[in-house]
Amino acid sequence: MTPDRLDLLSEGGLGIALAGALDLAQGLPRIPEGAPDRSRGARLLVDASTAPLRPVIAGVIVESPEAAGLDEGLLTEAVRFQELLHATVGRDRRAASLGIYPLDRFSFPVRYALEPVDGVEFVPLDGAERIRGPEFFAGHPLAKRYGGYGRWGEDCLTLRDADGAVLSLPPILNSRGSGEARVGDRTLLLESTGIRARSVSECLGLLLLPFIARGWSAVPVEVEGPGTHRDDGRACVRPRTLDLPSATIPEILGTPLAAAEVERRFGRARLGVRPVPHGWRVEVPVWRPDLLAPVDLVEDLAIAAPLRPEDGIVPASRTRGRYRPETLFRRRVATALLGLGLAAPYTSLLVSETAARRLPGAEPVGISNPVSAEYSYLRDRLLLSHLEVLAHNTRHPYPQRFGEVGPVLVRSAPAESGAETRYHAGVVVASDRTGFAEVAGVAEYLFRGVDVAPVRESAELPGAIPGRAARARLAGELVAEIGEIHPEVLGGLGVPVPVAWAELDLTGLWRLLGRREGD
Amino acid sequence: MPGASTDAPDGAVPISLSGPERSVLAALRASDELPIEEGRLAEELGLAPDAVRGSLQRLRSKHLVAVEEEHWSDRRLTPRGEAALANGLPERRLLDALRRPGGTLATDLGAVEGLSDEERSAAIGILRRRHYLEDGLPFRLREGAPGPDESLPEELVLKQVANGEEEIDEPIYTVLERRGLVRTEHRSRKRWTPTDEGRRMAIAAADESLLGSLTPELLRTGGWKSRSFRPYDVRAPVPFITGARPNAYAAWLEEVEEILLGLGFEQVEGPLLETEFWNNDVLFMPQDHPARSVHDALSVEGLSGHPPPEGLLARVAAVHEGRSLPGEDRPIGPGWGVPYDPAIAARPVLRSQTTAVSARFLAGRPTPPFRVFSVDRNFRREEVDARHHIEFTQCEGIIGEEGIDLRHLVGIFRSFAEAIGIRELKIRPSYFPFTEPSIEGYVRHPRFGWMEVLPGGVFRPEVLRPLGIDVPVIAWGIGIGRLALVALGKNDLRELFADDLAVLESGGE
Repeated sequence: MTPDRLDLLSEGGLGIALAGALDLAQGLPRIPEGAPDRSRGARLLVDASTAPLRPVIAGVIVESPEAAGLDEGLLTEAVRFQELLHATVGRDRRAASLGIYPLDRFSFPVRYALEPVDGVEFVPLDGAERIRGPEFFAGHPLAKRYGGYGRWGEDCLTLRDADGAVLSLPPILNSRGSGEARVGDRTLLLESTGIRARSVSECLGLLLLPFIARGWSAVPVEVEGPGTHRDDGRACVRPRTLDLPSATIPEILGTPLAAAEVERRFGRARLGVRPVPHGWRVEVPVWRPDLLAPVDLVEDLAIAAPLRPEDGIVPASRTRGRYRPETLFRRRVATALLGLGLAAPYTSLLVSETAARRLPGAEPVGISNPVSAEYSYLRDRLLLSHLEVLAHNTRHPYPQRFGEVGPVLVRSAPAESGAETRYHAGVVVASDRTGFAEVAGVAEYLFRGVDVAPVRESAELPGAIPGRAARARLAGELVAEIGEIHPEVLGGLGVPVPVAWAELDLTGLWRLLGRREGD
Repeated sequence: MPGASTDAPDGAVPISLSGPERSVLAALRASDELPIEEGRLAEELGLAPDAVRGSLQRLRSKHLVAVEEEHWSDRRLTPRGEAALANGLPERRLLDALRRPGGTLATDLGAVEGLSDEERSAAIGILRRRHYLEDGLPFRLREGAPGPDESLPEELVLKQVANGEEEIDEPIYTVLERRGLVRTEHRSRKRWTPTDEGRRMAIAAADESLLGSLTPELLRTGGWKSRSFRPYDVRAPVPFITGARPNAYAAWLEEVEEILLGLGFEQVEGPLLETEFWNNDVLFMPQDHPARSVHDALSVEGLSGHPPPEGLLARVAAVHEGRSLPGEDRPIGPGWGVPYDPAIAARPVLRSQTTAVSARFLAGRPTPPFRVFSVDRNFRREEVDARHHIEFTQCEGIIGEEGIDLRHLVGIFRSFAEAIGIRELKIRPSYFPFTEPSIEGYVRHPRFGWMEVLPGGVFRPEVLRPLGIDVPVIAWGIGIGRLALVALGKNDLRELFADDLAVLESGGE
């Protein structure tokens, strides 16, 4: 069961699919046509006022094959599935929403319009007393959550029957009585409103499933307006067709399928199929919006006879594997760090708010929707992570020496995303004898490894002791920062010995080396 | 450090001997009856046995002497046992008394001379258990009771013990031991001999001019030539040395990359902060897809991105809206039925899948055949626990060439799983917006059971055509962190981010 198969998340849809898989039924399930008299005069009238907010509406009348009508199980299932569709295809009711109404308790035509909130008065589905529109929008939890989709200034969307009774306030809540399906109801209107025709028809097609699977009949409701627009609504119940060229099957599955096998597999997938020149015409029911194109049909063929690991074929290689040269450059530096006897942590790009604030003046990019404060900033230098390593290891004996090559994110207006991913090499030494000279020596050792000799210049660096920090430049470009950590920062970390660090910008260095090669 | 010498370099521990130890070791070396008992050694040295024993134990802890221990048992008669052997066991004496002429014997057992009340009761019990006595009183021997010339088993064993014989009836011996007639004495002795190291040390200990550190001065003058070096205790504790080792997870990721290199894949890389265009749109993810919401993707503060090249943007917009590509007369498919918003396309978002890297590669219109991979970090808005992490690594790979299909993807999954030592693999249908068909490979973790870690599929035409790719492309984005749990024997994704220096320095993983 995959996330695109919403039909399988209803009991009815699962039953239809299982019947196919177990060879109890084949092909496209038939939708019984309802009695014409039940849908006579059934129309949804759309007022032009809905256009700026939620212009699309569609409806289908479903009728029970039994006199007993709606039972408790089907009612519960239909409401559960309705909410699931709201959350998925309906994009939490923003794109589309659904309503279920008992045909015996309202009369057609139903009018869909935007009207003044002041003029609305109804009994909400979950209430017992009549309430006026302004109070409803001010106080009801569903109105607070979804009101923005159904309200436009001082107006709100309504569905009213021929007698002016409020059926619902789309997409928020139905009314009690005319908008409340109950056990025993024989004929129901399934309705969907939304901002797009496709989402509306997908929602409605899927909501049909619990009823179709129980043998209910379905008749589309005609939609009129605004203006002269007319839609007979048949697209809400009628299967659509998709053509599958024969050649597409072996292209994707790697093997052709015999015509009888194609028909058998589509039949088991509960799809209709007939041959056409150079392929197949497949009938797709309204509850399968996941089938968009021929490749989707091929997937249904594949699912009918799933692949096993032993079916796999290792494709012969006609290419040569290789690393990016820049990766090899970074690896060389990482190996050099190991050669210096530095421990090798593996730290995350995301750092905590505490870590981000340790160095006054640093400007790491913040996450606007963090899950927790622990992962709420993107480091702009490895030092932010490495100070946390020191803080986590205050019980470990000193001296401590470690180094890492890893990514950082640096603000960069020209970059496509507004920031650039760069790779740094960071070295930290915590020891009662360490200082600027030791880490500067390490930096020079690393520079000598790639045959460059940057020039150090005094600098004020975030978190460093003034006068004991430097930037190293090569051809004018910044390639390293070196310094001793300020005692105030060390105090915050709980580190009892001096700490010195060096951080090389390997991305910048690589570009400079490339430029030198180019020269 | 005990026994440390200031003239030993780098914490080495010279072997130091006390005076008695030196004497004992010298005597051992000189002895011609090795191994030698410590008592004998004490005699030779004229020292108290306890003092010699203490020196030997200390020399043994320095591995300079070795000991052979011999254990044995002696069985002996107790005084009561000796009396029973001489005068007869109580049961024998009772038998004899019952055989005396006229002797129905007798309610009055006092007639059996020399037996205490306790012995009489025990003897009656023994004879009754062996059915030598008639039932009831007076006591009378049954037919078949042993005659005066027939030994009782207990008598036989008593004689064997007295004679020092070893082959005896153990259950009878145990009974006699319980009756206090015999006892077992456990004995042992230690015999000592010097080890090779001890012999050398015995010689060296006699030399008062041993060298400690080999100094530059000694080297320069050659002064070492006429002197011996003081030996070290090579088993003594040494300084705890820490060193650098490759990070286990990073090293494992490199192994994965090496496997892919071996399969003909070329490495590619992309930015960690992407635009929504590259992260989603170009992969045919609808712009209102729930997975793109603020609940799933991580966005950033204060940055603004730039739209992609106009031509590419127009082509991607066309497939999203179900329109024909520029210059073509038929749409690839119905699209998502949602108006495409270029402003969304330019929004920065942390990369949620390395497929964005593949998309950037494909946008460069590579010449088929091509195979590329990227093992890199991605980010999703997940609550962090043992199986989920906000920052995770994927192994992305694509193959583009004529004739490539779904079975090849399964083949790649299988060979990849085998290469990293995973034997149990199963394939299930799956769904991803940018591949169709889509499959998912599952592997078994000892703790978590089956885990979905090998997602992949065939790129949809809606992905490939706007990028100008006209060969089929299979793609996968393996959850390499979860595979690492299996391969490295870990139980928690958080353990992959390692910053415990004690573990890192000790070479642990």
